[in-house]
Amino acid sequence: MLETCALLRSNRDARLIAGGTAVVLMLRQRLIDPSLLIGLRRVPGLDSITAASQWLSIGAAVTLQQVADSDRVRALAPSLAAACQEVGNVRVRNRATLGGNLAEADYASDPPAVLASLGAVVCTAAPEGGGRRIPVSDLITDYYTTQLTSDEVVLRVEVPLIDGRRSAYVKYRSRSSEDRPCVGVAASLVPDPQGWVASLEVVVGAVTSTPQRMTTATEGVVGARHDEARAGAVAAAVAAAIHPIADGRGSAWYRTQVIEVMVRRALAMVVA
Amino acid sequence: MTVVDLDDRDAQDTVVGRPRYVLDQHIEGELHAKIVRSPHPHARLDGVDPTRALATPGVVAVLTGADVSGDASINATFGRQRSDQPILAVGTLRYAGEPVALVVAESIEAAEAGREGVGIECRALPHVVDAEAAGAPDAPQLHAAWAGNGCGEWKLRYGDPEQGWREADRVFEGTYWSPPASHVPMEPHVCLAAWEDGRLSVWTSTQAPHRVRDDLAAVFRLAPEAVRVQTRDLGGAFGAKGQTTIEPMAAVAARRLGRPIRLELDRDEVFLTIGKHAASVRLATGVATDGRLLVRRVQVVYNAGAYALTSPLAAGQGLLRAPGPYRIPHVEAHVLARYTNTVPSGPFRGAMTSQLAFAYESQMDEIASSLGIDPVALRRRNLLKDGDQYATGEHLHQLHFGELLEDAARAVEWGTPCAPAPPGRVRGKGVAVMIKTTLTPSRSVARVELAADGSITVRSSSVEMGQGSRAALTRIVAQALGVQEARVSVPHPDTDRTPFDSSTSSSRTTSSMGTACVRAVDDLRCQLTERAAAELGVPAESLAHRDGAIGPQGGGARITYEHLLALGDPPLVGEGLFESHGGLPAMDPLDVRGFSTVHWHQGAAAAEVEVDCETGRVTVLRCHGSAYAGRVVNAHRVRQQNQGSVVFALGQTLMEELVYDEGRVVNANLAEYMIPSIQDVPELTSTAIESSDLEAEPHGVGEMALPAVAPAVANAVFHASGARIRCLPLTPERVLRCLRENARADGGSGG
Repeated sequence: MLETCALLRSNRDARLIAGGTAVVLMLRQRLIDPSLLIGLRRVPGLDSITAASQWLSIGAAVTLQQVADSDRVRALAPSLAAACQEVGNVRVRNRATLGGNLAEADYASDPPAVLASLGAVVCTAAPEGGGRRIPVSDLITDYYTTQLTSDEVVLRVEVPLIDGRRSAYVKYRSRSSEDRPCVGVAASLVPDPQGWVASLEVVVGAVTSTPQRMTTATEGVVGARHDEARAGAVAAAVAAAIHPIADGRGSAWYRTQVIEVMVRRALAMVVA
Repeated sequence: MTVVDLDDRDAQDTVVGRPRYVLDQHIEGELHAKIVRSPHPHARLDGVDPTRALATPGVVAVLTGADVSGDASINATFGRQRSDQPILAVGTLRYAGEPVALVVAESIEAAEAGREGVGIECRALPHVVDAEAAGAPDAPQLHAAWAGNGCGEWKLRYGDPEQGWREADRVFEGTYWSPPASHVPMEPHVCLAAWEDGRLSVWTSTQAPHRVRDDLAAVFRLAPEAVRVQTRDLGGAFGAKGQTTIEPMAAVAARRLGRPIRLELDRDEVFLTIGKHAASVRLATGVATDGRLLVRRVQVVYNAGAYALTSPLAAGQGLLRAPGPYRIPHVEAHVLARYTNTVPSGPFRGAMTSQLAFAYESQMDEIASSLGIDPVALRRRNLLKDGDQYATGEHLHQLHFGELLEDAARAVEWGTPCAPAPPGRVRGKGVAVMIKTTLTPSRSVARVELAADGSITVRSSSVEMGQGSRAALTRIVAQALGVQEARVSVPHPDTDRTPFDSSTSSSRTTSSMGTACVRAVDDLRCQLTERAAAELGVPAESLAHRDGAIGPQGGGARITYEHLLALGDPPLVGEGLFESHGGLPAMDPLDVRGFSTVHWHQGAAAAEVEVDCETGRVTVLRCHGSAYAGRVVNAHRVRQQNQGSVVFALGQTLMEELVYDEGRVVNANLAEYMIPSIQDVPELTSTAIESSDLEAEPHGVGEMALPAVAPAVANAVFHASGARIRCLPLTPERVLRCLRENARADGGSGG
């Protein structure tokens, strides 16, 4: 790993490549022209999924299909397994890695919103002990842009484990079944002992440059019973708070309509 | 569970990756070419600066339009109907993506690097993307020779339309829009060209080897025989490879540099080479209150793109099909194609017809709904029946529209309510019917060779492009000759060795080349009979063929085919010709009437859909395609063609559109130009309606269900949700907007 970081430091325009689903596309579209590609396949320690009492840890080079198929992930972070199962098609999922997915920071992607809703943290390595822990909700700063420095490498993603948490991810595609999301909504609800809402996270992906973590819109339900009327109010507040982009998957107007619908559907899933 | 035909050699080969495509082809000593394309939709071209490109390591040459037009031995433009397309742009750039220069290098990588270094000096001109706008008096003009951007105009008048409008109780009007789309063959266009002793030899991924041969001969002012065109199986085509496109560029470069040239398009370039005609169809239909169609006016504007290709005549094909498969006593039709600053349009599976069927079959359901008549019943009342007169004045025969309609309706259990949909969703069913002509006039020649070892070789220029032409011709020849299919081989087209064929298009191969093959077998059998008669010393009339042998009709000693040829003899060759005459070229474009086509293509489709009322997303639950097939050669293949038609059409129905912004295509890639994935394929069923006559000719089935799919789905969406969408594709956003408008209108009237 240190060798990888050193290579990155001495070759400023080098690119890391794991599954290659993003890097190869960019190369073929001539969007990047790196002098060096550094393969992560043989770097040890990036390919395991482990769980401790408080954290579920997923190596950066674990493929999205491995995440989706993992019994641990399905039990401890079901919305993450569901989101990874929805990415592209099986050929893409068998190559693409979770670390690569986050580092690419494609705005129209499924896993980042879910990881943000679960309070996940990215652990990195960098030369001279410069490794960090970055909350996923802070990692992506703009289209295809992250906080990661040019010699920093994602090691793993840690998902905090909370008793009783219920999570869901709803992906809405407006075109082919293999399309990226037009709207993606991740919801994570922790009930209190009465079954009322202790905390609620709603993160909306694919509608702006970065996943949108909706804190104000969900405030009203904390400490209250989670019901259909409150979910509807949250959904309306979320839709009103986001100024979505327009692209080939839908206009801003259309996305606003769909955000409200999908937030409602995601909330219905976490209450059940 | 699908039963796979294990005798299907082609399918097995394809699954294990055995076929070699032109894409796999290389010639020793080849150079690689890459195309520099126009960044502007419309511009004056002042010059091309190759300096930086030529300084790129590995780059051998940069060719420009000036190099081509400066060579007196070359026609600098090509095009069968209008020679309006420059091999490389000269003076004017007419669409963003037009080839401007060709960078030739020792490797693809060097050519790509060189491409970045070519400077284009030009001044932007006003551009026009929309074909309606291109007809305005002040619209930018693309070609000095063709005023008003005209690229074909056809008119038809039948009966007495004025009387029809007077008699009509109700008149329904609407405009229906189909966007530009792309064929998306998996294999891109690829061409290798080499010259030897003044002869040009080309390998190219084409549906029409002889067309390319003749076009190249015209470019270089050579006799057709001085050009050899070979192809292999195509990795998909759908019409995209029916025209000469990149071949002249490769051939010019090969001649200039004296080395073989290999030119392979990148994925984005395929989108910029040829596409589907966008079309607006204005349709007015006058009906009696009992649902009889009395009069119809149809006005179509096809977008031809920047160069004519087939558009002038194809617009006429559209006219022949525009009235729809109905008995209408009075019809007026006016069809135009116009040049615009967009990717040239060409044949596209379901050519010129999908746009029309979307219009007339959508309107049919609008009429039904408004008159309170069941959509199937309304069609039943009006469909053309055998012997009816069509708007061209012809009496049509071998019509099976009624059977097709009933079959499609039955397939989705028409009249039975849909199973209940989940909350927030609604379900509905729709049907549609379509009529299409085939390429007329056309010509196909086949040779069937019998060798002394008993093997049979079919020399045909029909191209295998996934549609199963090789399997069909193999079966036709084997059956006609009474031998095992394993003895029959069909080598790839090669204009030096395989006889003339117009093209592999318009669903004509099984029918046209199949007929030529049957005739070639007849010829071969006559020759065999004569030999056998001489050998046995009996009159030819007393002999009969059975199981690859000849003997006396009543039985007795028989002599096998291979025994009639001594070892070392040259093969015995039978030749057969299919030729059709008449059709559009024999008609007055402004007063179309008369014999249109050798076969009337007939198809139908039915769909059941579910609409998510909160998002507008349409899920096709099941879809059925029916085609009239005449005599079926291979039932499994017909099923695959019908199902292929449905899946292909669902793309244009639900998601496909080539998007222009400021005159440039912005989604020339497969991330943004969506085609259906395997997960989008609904439950599929299909039917081939067969003639009761066992000797009937086979009809093409490659695109019969296709044009009916979009209106069947649109009608199902309407039936389910009340949303009538007159623009393709049926995007969720369009559906949702329509649902919201309907809700507002209902609220208004109810409130």
